[in-house]
Amino acid sequence: MLILSRKPGESIVIDGRITVKVVRVDGDTIKLGISAPSEVPVHRQEVYDEIQKNNREALTHNQLSVPRLATGGRPAASPPLSVPPPAAVNPIQPKVIAPATRS
Amino acid sequence: MELFAHGIPFAQRPKVTVNEFMKTAEIAEPVIRNVKNENVIQIPFGLLGFEQVKNYVLLSHPHEQPFMWLRMLDDSKQGFLVVSPFQVMPDYEPDIATEDVEYLGLNDPSDALVVNIVTLRNGGGATINLKGPILINRHTLVGKQVIPNNAARFETRHPLPVS
Repeated sequence: MLILSRKPGESIVIDGRITVKVVRVDGDTIKLGISAPSEVPVHRQEVYDEIQKNNREALTHNQLSVPRLATGGRPAASPPLSVPPPAAVNPIQPKVIAPATRS
Repeated sequence: MELFAHGIPFAQRPKVTVNEFMKTAEIAEPVIRNVKNENVIQIPFGLLGFEQVKNYVLLSHPHEQPFMWLRMLDDSKQGFLVVSPFQVMPDYEPDIATEDVEYLGLNDPSDALVVNIVTLRNGGGATINLKGPILINRHTLVGKQVIPNNAARFETRHPLPVS
């Protein structure tokens, strides 16, 4: 593993197209700004690992018998999905990955 | 003129057999109406852990509703059981990142079909992954498994009431 020392405000460049910038250091928390092309997914490791593990467990064969959903769930009238309005895309806008807040 | 969806020419979309079309034509819900040769869901990034599998078919059988199958196009034996999260959790509100909304070209929440992966557990139980919903643009049929901004509020193994 390549290990580099950086100060707040300094960056590293990966493959000429991905920039990781140290935005702020606050105690044991480091805020990073990541600029990457839109086809490069960026995830927090622990969340990625958790979903990947769940996906692998969920993979199955179609011939399985499907259980019945117990009553109680009711369809929502319209999906209460929170979709922000489309905004102008600035491709070099860093994605700031804030520390995950766990409830 | 050639039409492109996220760099993938429409002409290169995999064709679906007549049988698939007939099966999919039975779908009452969800509302994917333009099924003719277009019931293939493209997931260009793949699902997490299955990044190489980019094409799926969404199948719904009346006797299995509200569950549906997200079946791999190239391996008809493998797939994921999915369900609309709003069927089981009406107050589910994933906060979708702006870049995911823009990537999928969603102008309105009604543009998105949302399904979440269900895992059947040993012993008959089932769980739903609320942390990694799959959003599908109903018009382009391009999808992505996204991690909502408020993912920390949701579980990957939320119990489903099944019998």
